[in-house]
Amino acid sequence: MAVITLFLVSFIVFGLMELVPGNCAERYVAYKNTQGRASISEADIRAEEIRMGLDKPFVVRWFNWTKDVFTKGYLGESCLRRTSVNQILQDKFWISLGLTLAALLVSYLIAIPVGMFSSTIRNSATDTTFRFISYLGLALPNFMVALGIMLFSTLYFGDTLTGLFSNEFRDAPWSTAKLLNFLSRAWMPALILGWSSTALQLQTVRALMSDENDKLYVTAAKARGLSGAKLFWRYPARQALGPVINSIGFDLNRIFNALPIVATILTLNEAGFILLESLAISNDQEVAGAIIFLLTVSIVFLNFITDVLLGIIDPRIRKGMI
Amino acid sequence: MASVTAPATKASTNKESYYTAGQAQLIWSRFKRNRAAMISAILLLFFVIVGIFAPFISPYAPTIAGKDPDYLNGAPQILRFWDENGFSIVPFTYTVERTRSAATNLRWVETINKEERRYLRFFVKGWDYYLIDFFIDLPGRNYDVRWRALKMDRHLFGMDKGFIHFFGTDKDGKDLFSRTVHAVGISLAIGTVGVILSFVLALIIGGIAGYFGGWIDGVIQIITDAVRVVPTIPLYMAIAAFLPDDWSAEARFFFISIVLGLLGWPTLARRIRTHLLAERTQDYVLAAKLAGASPRRIISRHLLPSFTSYIIVDLVITFPYTVLAETSLSFIGLGLKDPVNSIGVLLKNATNVDVMLNYQWQFIPVPIFIILVLAFVFVGDGLRDAADPYAQGKK
Repeated sequence: MAVITLFLVSFIVFGLMELVPGNCAERYVAYKNTQGRASISEADIRAEEIRMGLDKPFVVRWFNWTKDVFTKGYLGESCLRRTSVNQILQDKFWISLGLTLAALLVSYLIAIPVGMFSSTIRNSATDTTFRFISYLGLALPNFMVALGIMLFSTLYFGDTLTGLFSNEFRDAPWSTAKLLNFLSRAWMPALILGWSSTALQLQTVRALMSDENDKLYVTAAKARGLSGAKLFWRYPARQALGPVINSIGFDLNRIFNALPIVATILTLNEAGFILLESLAISNDQEVAGAIIFLLTVSIVFLNFITDVLLGIIDPRIRKGMI
Repeated sequence: MASVTAPATKASTNKESYYTAGQAQLIWSRFKRNRAAMISAILLLFFVIVGIFAPFISPYAPTIAGKDPDYLNGAPQILRFWDENGFSIVPFTYTVERTRSAATNLRWVETINKEERRYLRFFVKGWDYYLIDFFIDLPGRNYDVRWRALKMDRHLFGMDKGFIHFFGTDKDGKDLFSRTVHAVGISLAIGTVGVILSFVLALIIGGIAGYFGGWIDGVIQIITDAVRVVPTIPLYMAIAAFLPDDWSAEARFFFISIVLGLLGWPTLARRIRTHLLAERTQDYVLAAKLAGASPRRIISRHLLPSFTSYIIVDLVITFPYTVLAETSLSFIGLGLKDPVNSIGVLLKNATNVDVMLNYQWQFIPVPIFIILVLAFVFVGDGLRDAADPYAQGKK
């Protein structure tokens, strides 16, 4: 299943990148032209296409690209920067993934307790307040929050907290000090992203918990004399958490969606920012495609893990009953 | 005796009306009890009305045609009833004069002339507009549909002379109040088109997958999963990146809402499928099948109504996300662009250092946007609680 999905995804991504107007050969010839060569002819472009292998049909190129990715881990060459995409990305994708996962953790730490709590005291003043605060994360545009925190930290700490590292660590190899430095800055994007993506999970948890709480088996358990935490955790909570675990992969996806904007404001030099740059500014199809593909691979992988986990937790899924 | 039976009959009529009430009535009666949701619903209704009647409510055209050349980057103006020159029943503001001379170093200087009052008027004549303006604008002229009716030039309010800017003006002198009012309408319209489109797609795809099950379901699930794992914003960006720059604002608007719709269906489709898979083995479906009903009829007449309320709730819940997607797309610069008034465009305009430090009133659309999103989310929650059939036992 997961492998089929991956193939399909690689096809979608590659197709999308193909749809972007212009190809590498045209750009290269146009670039050469600015360097002093007199004129461009159609033949020049065709010759360049053949040299780069762009004349082959779409399916062949897609197959080659996918083969390289799966067998060698080689993501292709960036047309714009004339180096391999692996070289451009280096550890930046891992940083992005780490940030996104941290944000995911933050949003679950808010959504699950608040959602469960909120479903038991539905529509009281406390419930409304809690939900209001979590939904505010959704409603406040990410870039506003980022700008606000930046302004605040500049005024009160004298440091903008932008960027991923302080100056002295920027080009240093990874070390404990660098990691600590990274962590001292990474909490902010993680917090912003986490808060902003809390709303949907919270709504899901709250809806599921409300559904389960009112079901007859809970009433039956109450009738048997169960109450309090024991009742809560053994029956409704266990049922309600299944779909939440199931959606971890897609939540990661949603959080990553917000990453480019926050990264731009906070000038984080990581994959989300590079993605935005290569799509919106430099039109660097190969880099964009590679990042989207890497992300989907992580999501499919996460989905696979959660499926296995769910199978262990819930015997009905193992037997294919849901 | 009569006094004893009276409350009993009342209770029994209550009970009877409860049992005979339709699904919609039940949901409504439960929804009404939820205060936060009711307040949000009223706010939402207000926004929708504002959006629909945007040209009537806004005193000036939100485009460059409606600019106030004497009041660029102007601060919000406040209506007054009195000042040192006396009291007036009709609220007024002052005239702003913009002059430039050698004395001011040839820079434009704005002075407020307190002697020249401008009075507020209701239902004034202003720029022309169509109250009903329905358009489908696809790239290429042949496919354009534009249907307009009710040409009007009356506006809710205006001044007897000059301009009034409740929210101030932007760098071109466009009235921010008018822009915001229009932006609410446009953002809601994009959300509506996107949500309806993804809803129809989800209904068809989820309906087929859920009803037939088996290998058809399997294939559709693989495709759905593949679309779902591709991150949406980069996908939007990739698609929006090849929008030609020369498309008209309206064409962009349609394209963006279609893109939002085309990519929004998987979640809802999956939910519909799960519901159908559970329902299709029920006896009433078998009965319909034996009676010779076609699959289409069974899906649309028997299966879908069994969870209409869930679908509505889902639609309301997805709505703010569609609006948000438009906002972030426009913010990146790949969505709608400046002459169009969407909330994303206004937010983008507000996010630069010059505005942040000097012209803070351009942030006024931000709280409005926040209220809009919050209202949607709370209405969604309220509807969900109200539509929950198990919840009745509690009250």
